[in-house]
Amino acid sequence: MAIETEFGELQLPAERLSAMPGARSRGFGSSLYQIAIYGVLIVAGIIAVIPFLYVVSTSLKDNASLFSYPPEWIPSEPTLTNFQTLLENYPYLRWMLNSLIVAAAVTVIKVLIDSMAGYAFAKMSFPGRDALFLVVLMTLMVPFAATLIPLFIIVRNLNLTNTYLGLILPALASPIGIFMMRQFIESLPSDLENAARLDGCTEFQIFRRVILPLMKPGLVVLGVFTFMTQWTSYLWPLVISTREDMLTLTVGVQSLRSLFTVNWGVLSAGAVLSMLPLILVFLFLQRYFIAGSIAGALKE
Amino acid sequence: MATISLDHAGSASTSPANPMRLSREEHERLRRRHARRRAFTAYAFLLPNAIFFIAFLLVPVVFLFYLTFHNGGIITPARFVGLENWQRAWSDDLVRTTIRNTVYYCLLAIPSVFIIGMFLALCLQRVPRGSGPFRSLFYIPTLTPYVLAALIWLFVVQRDFGALNVFLGLFGIPPQNWLGSPSLVMPSIAMLEVWRGVGFWTLLFLAALLALPPELYQAATIDGASGLQQLRHITLPLMRPTFFFAVVMATIWNLQLFDSVSILTDGGPSNASATVVWYIYKAMFQFNDKTGFAAALSFVLLLFILALTLVEIRLLRKRT
Repeated sequence: MAIETEFGELQLPAERLSAMPGARSRGFGSSLYQIAIYGVLIVAGIIAVIPFLYVVSTSLKDNASLFSYPPEWIPSEPTLTNFQTLLENYPYLRWMLNSLIVAAAVTVIKVLIDSMAGYAFAKMSFPGRDALFLVVLMTLMVPFAATLIPLFIIVRNLNLTNTYLGLILPALASPIGIFMMRQFIESLPSDLENAARLDGCTEFQIFRRVILPLMKPGLVVLGVFTFMTQWTSYLWPLVISTREDMLTLTVGVQSLRSLFTVNWGVLSAGAVLSMLPLILVFLFLQRYFIAGSIAGALKE
Repeated sequence: MATISLDHAGSASTSPANPMRLSREEHERLRRRHARRRAFTAYAFLLPNAIFFIAFLLVPVVFLFYLTFHNGGIITPARFVGLENWQRAWSDDLVRTTIRNTVYYCLLAIPSVFIIGMFLALCLQRVPRGSGPFRSLFYIPTLTPYVLAALIWLFVVQRDFGALNVFLGLFGIPPQNWLGSPSLVMPSIAMLEVWRGVGFWTLLFLAALLALPPELYQAATIDGASGLQQLRHITLPLMRPTFFFAVVMATIWNLQLFDSVSILTDGGPSNASATVVWYIYKAMFQFNDKTGFAAALSFVLLLFILALTLVEIRLLRKRT
């Protein structure tokens, strides 16, 4: 760490060094301090994952051993019947496909149109720019739940209930991506675009060949963010999809509970199957997820 | 492109006669035309977004206002009723209960996630190595859709075999009816938000902590400031913009509490966990076509969030 070498040059005593956050610790007192910190982190980590493990364990139990007391943490006779029941009796894979289609469509469209709008707000001057951006900022405060009723009536009158379009269109209105992309593009240097402009590029060429390649990290962050928002969305699909084969994953899995008031086994199997792809994607893309929140915060 | 004549002016200026030199009026005319063209391009870039933004955000907000003065609209055609919906919203006891419950939930959940999140972020910052796996672990609950998190939470707070009661049983504490008791239900739902949300705020705060200028800490260490003094006088003041952003976002999100309530309790027991958005949903989709009333309630939520956000911006800006 740069801090350390600088302090090394100043030749400060070691105990002062350890007062620096992030500085490497030396001596007994500070190693105890380190152990305490690791202890806190381990306990918090256990609390974070225990509910998942408990659900996984439940999904592997048959209904008889579910209510055994004291509860078994590791099922003595693990079984996959719950998963079998789920896949045989419910269009579970269809729900997953629906969620995938909606989330992917919204993500692709949003990333494209938000980066275009962000570019216009960040790098172009036109009459009404600041007023329009103020409108975008104001609408960031409009809660989705408040527009639920008018949106429902509009989409219903367009005859789009139980369609993919009905699920997708309202999600395209969210202004947060415009805001994120504008902040991101504003931080890019203008020299490259100006050079391209002198070379006779049109604005669209500049956007496609100069800006888009430069903002790849920003696009990935917006993409992951949008996909997650859609994948987890519940209230809108709940009101707009009523046919069983048009439900999204969240609404579908939730309906397992209302249909089967207490079939904990099938419910837990549904929860496990729904979490699995998310955790897998996360493990592969975690630097984007985490870099995403970090990049977002640094832009503030 | 007409603007090319301008763009090439630079290279032309090398010739001594400089035939590209423009008269003042001509220059002004070209400049205006260029500005018009650029404005046109900018609007073209905004257009695709503007279509969706207007159709599915601005129009709904205006339409919502219109609906608050009407009744019906789903099964029967909308009928003008003046201020009737507003009067009903004002005198409805359940509206007050839902507002009280929602605010209570926010007061339980937001400070808890912030304090725990900040504490864990400070811990992660102080770990010289190996913080990566912890970051991932903390983030996994945040990845979970609310609906799944709520379903998972059912397994935690379930009375007979839920993990929480099993854990408390180890200390001889009798099993609690977490979701069935009016006094425990909101804390149980807030605990879910803490479990799910802490990872997000931890990483956000950690990112902000790592971006703080190290020189200040070096200076403070040289001056002999203790770790706690540094936290109080350097870290917390510098984190103010992050906290500001976090408070505003968390308020907007948590005031819309619906998903976990709808799955865990459906507002019960005896409306102890009924929230504003839950009531909007119920009034609209499960009670008899109370569109106007639900619209009035939505508008109250909208105004409440707008007002609260503006107050927060005022208060937090002033202190910086």
